[in-house]
Amino acid sequence: MKLVLTGDNRLGVLRGDGMVDVSAAFADVRFRTAADRMPRVLALLGERRARVDELAAGGAPEAMPALQAPVPRPPKLIAAFGNYREGSDRERQAQDMFLESPDSVIGPDGVVVLPNHPATIFHHEAELALVIGRRAKDLPADERALDALAGYAAAIDVSGRGLGRMGPSRIGKSFDTFTPLGPAIATPDEVPDPQALRVTLSVNGEPRQDYSTADMEYGVVEVLAFISAYMTLVPGDVLLCGTNHQGLGALQDGDRVAMTIDRIGTLAVSVRDPQRREWPRGIDQATAARHGAVGGA
Amino acid sequence: MRVAAFDRDRIGVIGNDETVVDVTDLLKCYDPLGPEALLPDLIAHFADLRPELARRVAAGGGVPVAEARLRSPLTRPSKIVCLVGNYREGTDRPVQILDLFFKSPEGISGPGDTVVLPPHQASIFHHEAELAVVIGREAKDLAEAEALDAVFGYVVYNDVSARGLGRAGINSFLGKSFDTFAAFGPWIVTKDEVPDPQALHVTVDVNGERRQDYSTADMERPVQELLTYISSVMTLHPGDVICCGTNHQGLGAMQDGDAVVTAISGIGAFTIHVRDEHERAWTRGVDREMAERVKAMAQHPAAQTAAQAGSGGSAR
Repeated sequence: MKLVLTGDNRLGVLRGDGMVDVSAAFADVRFRTAADRMPRVLALLGERRARVDELAAGGAPEAMPALQAPVPRPPKLIAAFGNYREGSDRERQAQDMFLESPDSVIGPDGVVVLPNHPATIFHHEAELALVIGRRAKDLPADERALDALAGYAAAIDVSGRGLGRMGPSRIGKSFDTFTPLGPAIATPDEVPDPQALRVTLSVNGEPRQDYSTADMEYGVVEVLAFISAYMTLVPGDVLLCGTNHQGLGALQDGDRVAMTIDRIGTLAVSVRDPQRREWPRGIDQATAARHGAVGGA
Repeated sequence: MRVAAFDRDRIGVIGNDETVVDVTDLLKCYDPLGPEALLPDLIAHFADLRPELARRVAAGGGVPVAEARLRSPLTRPSKIVCLVGNYREGTDRPVQILDLFFKSPEGISGPGDTVVLPPHQASIFHHEAELAVVIGREAKDLAEAEALDAVFGYVVYNDVSARGLGRAGINSFLGKSFDTFAAFGPWIVTKDEVPDPQALHVTVDVNGERRQDYSTADMERPVQELLTYISSVMTLHPGDVICCGTNHQGLGAMQDGDAVVTAISGIGAFTIHVRDEHERAWTRGVDREMAERVKAMAQHPAAQTAAQAGSGGSAR
């Protein structure tokens, strides 16, 4: 099942080329904003699955409405530092993560707005996102950890480089609009093997990133075990699994960006830069060479 | 006005007679989704609520503070934004580039609570006393002149910090995001009672021994400049908190059995306890090596990366 949140705050399940409204399964969930609502919905998703499936199977699908991020403002947004081998045969690096601003999330067809800050470049980083479905602490590093998941999504970790005084990029990833997320939450039954997913990202139709989650240094269960040894995870938390830097490139005014993950879907956004700065188009080979050799973020 | 959380999901106002008056019922009209929404609601509607809150406090009938079980006055902020460094620490260097990180909002602890040291192989666990600024309204792109308008009040913060974890050469700051590592107390003092946030005296005492002891006059970037910068990056919400960074001169280990009192003049003081199932022991007293290293880093910023790599951790 692929669960979406519409622009007018309805819950839907994708069917064919359209969507079926399943809001009725969660009619009793009180909320003020979509941000309040989704964590509560995700916490109930498991026990109400039969009802959701029943609603999704009945009725004719409607044409795809406008969507917002399936978790518009997650309780926590956590990102892994460089977590792919990237063609090197190095020992895997120590695992490490950091938190980003939950206000950075935008949804499908949203607009990434580049801020008036002196970044050296703004990169796209296509990533597999994990969405948490229940409170969890100290998860084991095996498939039992997957029970904590509501599902998977696609995310672009937009990264302004060269800001802050201590590298690598952290503050430059937390600008409002810098975390496109979506288009749907694909429940775990849709993704039998999260380590066998192809991730691609193109800018204005030109291929940039193209990698497999098979190349992750620390797989999904290890990501979950690592972070839950630090902090309690709660429904709606979003974990970004890191990117493969082979294929990063600049984002700039007017760009149309589309990323796709097998079995999850395609997330497309556009880019606006009121300052209209320009960078070389195409893949940033210097960054690719640096990360292929030594890893990083 | 002093706003507190106490007992089980109660919100109160502290009177001049040092009693806490329960005002939770005044917040029910906002139809809170859960107890964690009570305080953000009070903050967001404070201008409307203030006359009635003042009447309640004047009427008395509160419970002595000493008999109430005070909790962290921030129950579950949507963001805990923390400054990296931000004090001159006795140097005459130019102001450094601003940097920040986020702390896990699941890490909240408060007065009388116990900070639990995890089994992770940290090189040390430090206390970091800080002034924290509680946001009063949704805010983006604040101009410096109006920045303080977005402030609700001030609170005492201890940024508990595990050093030496994570990938070498990377400043993830994740060692600050263990559960219980974000200690706030004892209450929020509204901004009208803190006429100058840059003239506050911050102290930490561990088991009665003075450790940190500094003035917010030494901040590199004052509160309004922090607000201006941070709101140029992200939208702030009522109840979000900006932690202004610490002065590293006076940090020291926190270890099993310690009682740590964090205090700021004009705001208040609160105690947290420390538990370590592994009963690890570090040298007691001020961590001089850390203090000197941060000073040296400040005077020779180019040495910063090397110093961090050498320590396996970083000055945060």
